[in-house]
Amino acid sequence: MNWLRLISLASLLLLLVPIFVLLYYGLGPLRDAAGYSVVVFRSIGLTLFSSALAVAVDLVLFTPLAYYLARGRDRITESLVDIPISVPHPIIGVALLILDSPVTPTGKFLLALHINFYNTILGLVTALVIMSAPIYVKSMQPYFESKDSSPEEFAMGMGASRLKTLYSVVLPSSFDGLSSASLISMSRALSEFGSISIIAYYVLQYPFYGVSPASVTIYEFFSGNMAGGLNAAVTASAAMILVAIPITLAGHLLRRRSGN
Amino acid sequence: MIEAKVGARLGEFQLRAEIKGDGTTCLAGKNGAGKTTLMRAIAGFLSVDEGYVRVGGTDVTNQPVEKRGVVLVTPATHIPHLGVDSHIVWGARIRGVKPPGGYVSKVKSDLGIDYAGTVGNLSRGMRQRVALATALISSPKAILVDEAFLGLNDRESFISTYRTLTKGVGIDLVFSSQDEEDGNLADNLFVMNDGVATPKR
Repeated sequence: MNWLRLISLASLLLLLVPIFVLLYYGLGPLRDAAGYSVVVFRSIGLTLFSSALAVAVDLVLFTPLAYYLARGRDRITESLVDIPISVPHPIIGVALLILDSPVTPTGKFLLALHINFYNTILGLVTALVIMSAPIYVKSMQPYFESKDSSPEEFAMGMGASRLKTLYSVVLPSSFDGLSSASLISMSRALSEFGSISIIAYYVLQYPFYGVSPASVTIYEFFSGNMAGGLNAAVTASAAMILVAIPITLAGHLLRRRSGN
Repeated sequence: MIEAKVGARLGEFQLRAEIKGDGTTCLAGKNGAGKTTLMRAIAGFLSVDEGYVRVGGTDVTNQPVEKRGVVLVTPATHIPHLGVDSHIVWGARIRGVKPPGGYVSKVKSDLGIDYAGTVGNLSRGMRQRVALATALISSPKAILVDEAFLGLNDRESFISTYRTLTKGVGIDLVFSSQDEEDGNLADNLFVMNDGVATPKR
């Protein structure tokens, strides 16, 4: 009897039982048509679209940071990266609201540049970037650390800067790590509720005019603001889980394949 | 000319080495003697606690790796996604150096590179030849070869050829070996033991 395996599987079950129960009731006894209506699918569409955009931003802006941390041994910066996800998530929503408020100097400046976070796709994506980038960085950093640094040292000896080395030597052989980190941070973005329920409860822009992110729509059903009630909330949750699970699983399978 | 007088501490290990060599220099010593540590200090990957590193008469002690003009080649050195031909001229392209006509083909033929393909898919020996050719064609001031001559089937004649090629374009060459006899393939020989380098020739 492998007790370690048995205990591990039992603790895993503890994590997954609520999800399985929800899937069972959402797709079975409590299935409610409002839970898989056009409103829900547009919500899921907005969530997928904004999460994918957030991950694209993570890739472009935060890959250099992950590499810098992997090769730089800058412990202070490393701990600062974790701050956004270590505070209650609504705080990030409130922070973005204040940053871009007409009553603050920063808000006046941003609004003069037509940068408006409140109920916009920009605000939604910005919040998702802040909530997913730390996960992206924490996923890419060990990947970079595990790579043999000889090719990089070779390139630097021939005069390539650290940034040039990243783009021309490291990244071309990092497809597996980049894909896995992108999918893992995308699942983090898909699951966000706290910050976006404040900064972008719904967005007022084409093609998602009046659409709320999926997590907010589920909350709307649950709180009774939207017709359908608890049954619709359970059904919509099950639909969202079915979309999110393959992305999370793919991210982790790729990670395993890349040996991290 | 490579001149290094360096002191550095790495955990329990203390490096206190002084070498000076024009042309080809062999650093011989057993495992743990400090050959790699000394080479990494010269290339700039290890910051030294005291002393200096001069390459071609210029003090590079406080210069970053990419400004030193020193290429370190180890058995794992290669850029895996490149094809053989683009790999060989990669360093020259980064440095903005244009190799003279026919030079690349001569280096390839002298070093026995008569194959193509993606470098990451080649055998270790084939990759080492490509990496050494790349370092040479990028025309740095010095090339440091740490163990990368090991495992080549025609090792001694390869070192002689590589020595002739580097000498021909005025590049200083330093290579490590576990065998003092390899000093015969170099202009200068230093034997390293416990972090100290003793000149033998």
